[in-house]
Amino acid sequence: MTQKLFDLAGIGQERLHLAWVSSAEAQRFVEVVINATEVVKTKGKFDPNAFEYELAAAEMTLSGETLRWMVGKEVKITSKGDVYGRQWDVKSFETILDAVLEREYQKNLIYKAVKEGHTSVRDIHNKIGLDLKRISYLLADLEKTNKVEFTGMKDRIPVFAVL
Amino acid sequence: MADFEPKIVAFLCNWCAYAGADLAGVSRLQYPSSIRTVRVMCSGRVDPIFVLEAFKDGCDGVLVAG
Repeated sequence: MTQKLFDLAGIGQERLHLAWVSSAEAQRFVEVVINATEVVKTKGKFDPNAFEYELAAAEMTLSGETLRWMVGKEVKITSKGDVYGRQWDVKSFETILDAVLEREYQKNLIYKAVKEGHTSVRDIHNKIGLDLKRISYLLADLEKTNKVEFTGMKDRIPVFAVL
Repeated sequence: MADFEPKIVAFLCNWCAYAGADLAGVSRLQYPSSIRTVRVMCSGRVDPIFVLEAFKDGCDGVLVAG
C-alpha cells in the first residue's frame, strides 16, 4: 500500500523495497542489498525539498484513521464479511482500498496546499496540478469534515482556509 | 552519475535479516556500503511513517527486510 502511495506521490515505488531474508541466508541478504542499491541508483538522488507537499500529504494519509481502520479490518472483512453481512473477496476489497488511498492522498494534498496559503481552487490547481473539478469536489468533502472552511469571496473567487 | 552512491535506510528484523547481515559479515561476503542499518525487533514494528520520515531526512531508498 505504501508502495502504491509512493507511485501516487510521484516518488516511485522503486525506492521502497521489501524482502524476506532468513538468518541463515547471508548470500540472499547480499543479493537483496545489491539489487536494492542498483534499482535506487537508476532512480538517482532523492530531493526531499522537491517533494515537500507530497511527503506531507503521504504522511497525513498514512497516519489518518480512515486508512488505518481499513487496513486493520481487511482480514476480518475479507474472511467473515462486513457488518451488513456482505462477503468481500480480497481483490474487490483492495480495489476499494486503492480508491480510498487515492482520495485521501489527494484530499491531504489539497489540505496542505490551502494551509500553505494557496486559497483558491485555481491557485491550488497551479500548485499541485490536480484537475480543477476534482479539487472543488474534494474541497466540499474537506468542508464537510471540518478541515477546511469557506471564508468568503475575493474578487469573485471563493477563498478557503484550514480550520 | 557513475559514482553516485545512494543512501538506503535498511530496517532489519533482529531475528531474520539482521542475523543474515551479521552472517554475511562473518563469512566475509561483499555487499555495497550504501545501506544504513536500523535494527528493529520485528519487521512488523516498521510503520509506514518511519519510511516517510527516512525519505524526509533525505535518503534515496528504503529497504525493509524481515
